Amino acid sequence: MTDKLRPAEPASTSTSNSASEMLDRRTLIGRLGGGLGALGLAQLLAAPASAGAADAASATGGTHFRPRARRVIQLFMNGGPYQGDLFDPKPLLEKYAGQRPESVELRTERKTAGLLPSPFKFQPGGQSGVPISELLPRLSGCADELCVLRSVHTDNPNHGPALLLMNNGTIVPTRPSMGSWFLYGLGSENDSLPGYVVLCPGRPVRFSILWTSAFLPGQHQGTYINHASIDPRKMIPYLSSDELPASRQRRQLELMRALNERHLAERGGDAALESRLTAMETAFRMQTEASEAFDLNRETARSRADYGTGHFANGCLLARRLVERGVRFVQVYYGDGQPWDTHNNHDETVRRLARDIDQPIAALLRDLRARGLLDETLVVWGGEFGRTPTSENGNGRDHNHYGFTMWLAGGGVRGGMTYGETDDFGFQAIQDKVHIHDLHATLLHLLGLDHERLTYRYAGRDYRLTDVAGRVIRPIVG
Amino acid sequence: MPTRVGFAPWFAIVAFRSAIVAFRSAKVACAGTRYFRKSNVDSGSRYFRGAKGDYGNVDSGSRYFRGAKGDYGNVDPGTRYFRGAKGDYGNVDSGSRYFRGAKGDYGKANWGRASLWLAFGLALIGLLAGRVQAQTADELEWFERRVRPLLVQHCYECHSAQTDEPSGGLRLDSREALLAGGELGAAVVPGQPDSSLLIRAIGYADTNLQMPPDGKLPTKDRELLVEWVRRGAPFPAVESSQEAKPAGPRKLTADDLRRGKQFWSLRPLVPTQPASAGADGWSRRRIDLFLAAALRREGLQPSMVADRRTLIRRATFDLLGLPPSQEEVEAFVGDPSPDAYERLIDRLLASPHHGERWGRHWLDVARYTDVTASWLENTGQAWLYRDWVIRALNQDLPYDQFVQRQLAADLMDSSAPADHAALGFLGLSPTYWKELRLAPDVIKTVVAEEWEERIDAVGRSFLGLTLACARCHDHKFDPISMQDYYALAGVFASTRLADQPLIPGGEAERVRDARRQVATLDERIKQVTSERKQADAERQAALDQQLAELDRQRRQLISATPHYDLPWAHGVDEASLLVLPDGPDQTRLEYQPGVAQNVALQIRGNPASPGPLVARRYPAVLSRGEPEPFRAGSGRRELAEAIFEQSPALAARVIVNRVWTWHFGRGLVTTPSDFGAQGARPSHPELLDDLAERFIGQGWSLKWLHREIMLSSAYQQSSADDPRRSAVDPENRWLWRMNRRRLELEPWRDAILAACGQLDGRMGGPADELDGSAARRTVYARVHRHELHPLLQLYDFPPPAAHSPARSATTTPLQQLFVLNSPFFRQRSRSLAAAILAEQDGLERRVERLHERLFQRSPIAAELELAREFLSADDGTLAEAERWTDYVQVLLGSNEMMFVD
Repeated sequence: MTDKLRPAEPASTSTSNSASEMLDRRTLIGRLGGGLGALGLAQLLAAPASAGAADAASATGGTHFRPRARRVIQLFMNGGPYQGDLFDPKPLLEKYAGQRPESVELRTERKTAGLLPSPFKFQPGGQSGVPISELLPRLSGCADELCVLRSVHTDNPNHGPALLLMNNGTIVPTRPSMGSWFLYGLGSENDSLPGYVVLCPGRPVRFSILWTSAFLPGQHQGTYINHASIDPRKMIPYLSSDELPASRQRRQLELMRALNERHLAERGGDAALESRLTAMETAFRMQTEASEAFDLNRETARSRADYGTGHFANGCLLARRLVERGVRFVQVYYGDGQPWDTHNNHDETVRRLARDIDQPIAALLRDLRARGLLDETLVVWGGEFGRTPTSENGNGRDHNHYGFTMWLAGGGVRGGMTYGETDDFGFQAIQDKVHIHDLHATLLHLLGLDHERLTYRYAGRDYRLTDVAGRVIRPIVG
Repeated sequence: MPTRVGFAPWFAIVAFRSAIVAFRSAKVACAGTRYFRKSNVDSGSRYFRGAKGDYGNVDSGSRYFRGAKGDYGNVDPGTRYFRGAKGDYGNVDSGSRYFRGAKGDYGKANWGRASLWLAFGLALIGLLAGRVQAQTADELEWFERRVRPLLVQHCYECHSAQTDEPSGGLRLDSREALLAGGELGAAVVPGQPDSSLLIRAIGYADTNLQMPPDGKLPTKDRELLVEWVRRGAPFPAVESSQEAKPAGPRKLTADDLRRGKQFWSLRPLVPTQPASAGADGWSRRRIDLFLAAALRREGLQPSMVADRRTLIRRATFDLLGLPPSQEEVEAFVGDPSPDAYERLIDRLLASPHHGERWGRHWLDVARYTDVTASWLENTGQAWLYRDWVIRALNQDLPYDQFVQRQLAADLMDSSAPADHAALGFLGLSPTYWKELRLAPDVIKTVVAEEWEERIDAVGRSFLGLTLACARCHDHKFDPISMQDYYALAGVFASTRLADQPLIPGGEAERVRDARRQVATLDERIKQVTSERKQADAERQAALDQQLAELDRQRRQLISATPHYDLPWAHGVDEASLLVLPDGPDQTRLEYQPGVAQNVALQIRGNPASPGPLVARRYPAVLSRGEPEPFRAGSGRRELAEAIFEQSPALAARVIVNRVWTWHFGRGLVTTPSDFGAQGARPSHPELLDDLAERFIGQGWSLKWLHREIMLSSAYQQSSADDPRRSAVDPENRWLWRMNRRRLELEPWRDAILAACGQLDGRMGGPADELDGSAARRTVYARVHRHELHPLLQLYDFPPPAAHSPARSATTTPLQQLFVLNSPFFRQRSRSLAAAILAEQDGLERRVERLHERLFQRSPIAAELELAREFLSADDGTLAEAERWTDYVQVLLGSNEMMFVD
């Protein structure tokens, strides 16, 4: 019956772990932050609290259902490629060249004139006969891997908002990027590399907002790497010391560990202190691991030759090296600014662009297949929107968000098929339309995540990548 | 005859109601054009007709930009209505699209009358249908056996009472619900399968309206449903009126409002005497009495007071964001007087660095950026707002004034011109690009996004309420209605981002005039210069003379105008933004200075489906009585005042809890910006109320609050862990110890610079690039809203595109690479090593000195031993300075440098 509060000395500090055993999982995650890079939230939450309580998620390895894909590579043709040149042939354009039939009376961002046929021929590719343009002869050889979505549409014909919708699922620059959601849901498979890497030999429009983690924890943001130079030390900030040999750094690290451990012991355990201690060790390993992962010179001459030369080829090869090492999501932007934004000299520019991507993409698909990685690596190709079948400035094409093509390959999608249709002129999607939300829902689905259940509570709402929309495109799931 | 259901009269009522609506609309003159269109016969029939190609005609503009709240609904409305997207505020009423129809509708007149006729027509049909279609027992049985199972299997997951919010507002589990339909209108027209939306949806012919979403039903099932509708859609009556109620998002009732006012955060402060009267052997301040009671209840003992070195380090980082100097530490440790700690706190509170530390906390809340959108015409200097915040906190400007000036300094008598910089809270708000080549509806959506941004910032920052959740529907959890939301939207629709001078109006006017004249002169100079290029020699000479004269006038004008070059601040002024059509497809923006406007409620958050105008006012649940409409201009000043006059309890609870959170690392309410139903409940409600009450009593003095908190026993406890107690309370909810804190990037970087003797103490002014030689405090590093510096990103700096309630503290390997390899770390280590080598002799003395500088303590024997080992293991190749640099880098990178006990 004491009314006195007696401030107490801490009890013995030697039994250091009992406290953290008591933490509930959420607290644990919060405290450990990125120290548990290898585990996704879903896995942590799903790990059975007691034996026998294995729920559905833990049975499938921490996801909502069986994942078809474990990793994603997105090849981003920033600027917006014209589908009618590449994957969605429209022979009727020839007949109506220069005219504006009623169905093309849609508002484009800028004024466009009559229909402008594509000069490029199509051939059936592979066993499946999926039509692919003569501009992409090598990719045509991979036609059986491709699931060509011809009926994608988005909400906005301006680059910024369309890029945001494609990357962040909304036009408002305040939401987490798709890759951050992937990482939040699945964690990384490699502790020594960032789980979400964005490669661009320059800067895409809107830049870092496209890979922001926004209100998700910071370790889920994308790591932007400018691979204009392929020296790993130039690509990753602070990757290695300019002056210290590894042996000296190793000594530093040993001293740091000793000091930190003493500091920790004196305080009787603290998850935050411990996690920084571990992260320091990981960072040390990462210097070697990342230097190795990002070093294209470690590729054989043969494989360099397969991919070809140029920034985009390097990006594709880097992407393969990264997913091979368990990086969850790699985005490869085609180039600085918006190279696919062909308002003028469209045909000429596209010839060059297509030549530039054909060999590397074909090599990437073959390489992933040969290494047994394609089945669980989802490759996504496309831009933020497509382009108009009508002409702009005589020889250019304007933005088109009503209907355009993207394709998926590997990672649990059915290859050798097309899905959806645009109208006779390829202006707008009319059948089996795929909104960006649907695309996102499908990507999450392939990764084993339910887009309606992967949520994060913020500012009074449960946010999702797909907001309140999105449906999984089931017919393309293999 | 029990099977006969009176749907027909009901149907008639619905129709009649729409007639009334139409009639009412007709009185609203042209403001209601859109509204009428919704019930227009012609356009309505387009929908039912389902003519192919409709979508091409539809004003597709309205589909762009459909933003935040899931207006995406417009994009693919059909599928979404019938699908089970949660929350479905997004399911925008595509009514607006369907009914809006093709271009040219705008010109039609007499919508009101047309819809009146339509409504009567429908009523008539309803009555007739009722007469013809009686429901027999056989039919009902047939329905239950064959049809109901189909509906249950394929539709009810999203369209029945089993889901909180049926998709598209449509339920298919009662006849009334079927007929009332969802946002697209009635799902079924009894007897007319061809006109029934449900049948159209299952037909899958319309790519925008396909149900069920997983795939087309087998032919026989579809035929069955067609047959069911043809037979008049027999459906047994339901007993529960609840079930029969047409579904839709929750609507706030007067009851909700009354209950809401009793919610813990919204009710008046409840003064309570602490349970313990004192003399408990631990408590020093009133705060402690409340905490002690809770500790006792939980069976916990508090911790011992921390040692003095720990205390001064803790307090100095906490209040200044800087480490104490060695001299300060020694003085404090050696001070025998009982009030030494109290004097320490007072000294720290008086330091100008206090504002730099706490200003940064506030800038997180205010989503501060140094760089605003490139398309803005503002020439204002963002840092003026940052410096105003720092100054205001240093001066202990009462919190109510602090907030009010940030919202309305330009409209308040009590604020000086220099306070116009406070308007940066609004003036630096994110803005979104308005592409005038797009249709007005598109741009209206963009503008609506901006309103939401402001409402969100104001709601969460000052009121701890997620007001923005009420944009598309009444708030799902809190008693905030859409009317409340649009009442505030009107305030921001009447407010324009505009540079504000920091000098009195008259002088500012003169500067404005002079700037205009200089601009004219500049124009003239440009003309003459270009003319000169083409002129012959003689003419050139004359033009040169002219140029000289123009230049003289220009210089004279500038020098004769006081404050000509004084920078202006990002602020706001009073002007309404109108989004107007410019030709058929494009948009024109017009600002009307000095004019205030009410805005129309946007049904489902869709600007293309406006509801009634809402008068600008304060949210009802926060108001003492019926909320009065704002009358003075935009209402910004009234809003600012209402926060403190109408809801002082909430405002005080929110800021007290924020300050508590920043001191303890954990709030009494752990959701500092959500004091609503979804937020956490206070761990110590009486303490929070007591502190809030006294805070108000102390004239909203933040420095009083800091002092009161920091003088408590709770704050002065040791942070050491204790397995027994942390087994009971692992999160330290009951504050049985102090929380150990990881320093944010700013104090951590500042401390490193300070330890190396390189911190540049200059305050204020334009931001620095956070690279290379920048040595001022990190609060002065440039914050770019959309291109945050990589170092800031690396260390959890909150994205400044939105309000940040609290920082997260992630730990990643990439952060540690910065420690291991960055030039910043290496250079600071080198210079500190050099200083120590120059300053002291002997390994031991140098190591001691380093520990004092970095950690404000002496090394223990084990640390000395480690140092000796590290520094003397020498193969003879490494210069002394290099060895010491390596050593210093380890100390700077160690946990002790980054964590405060």
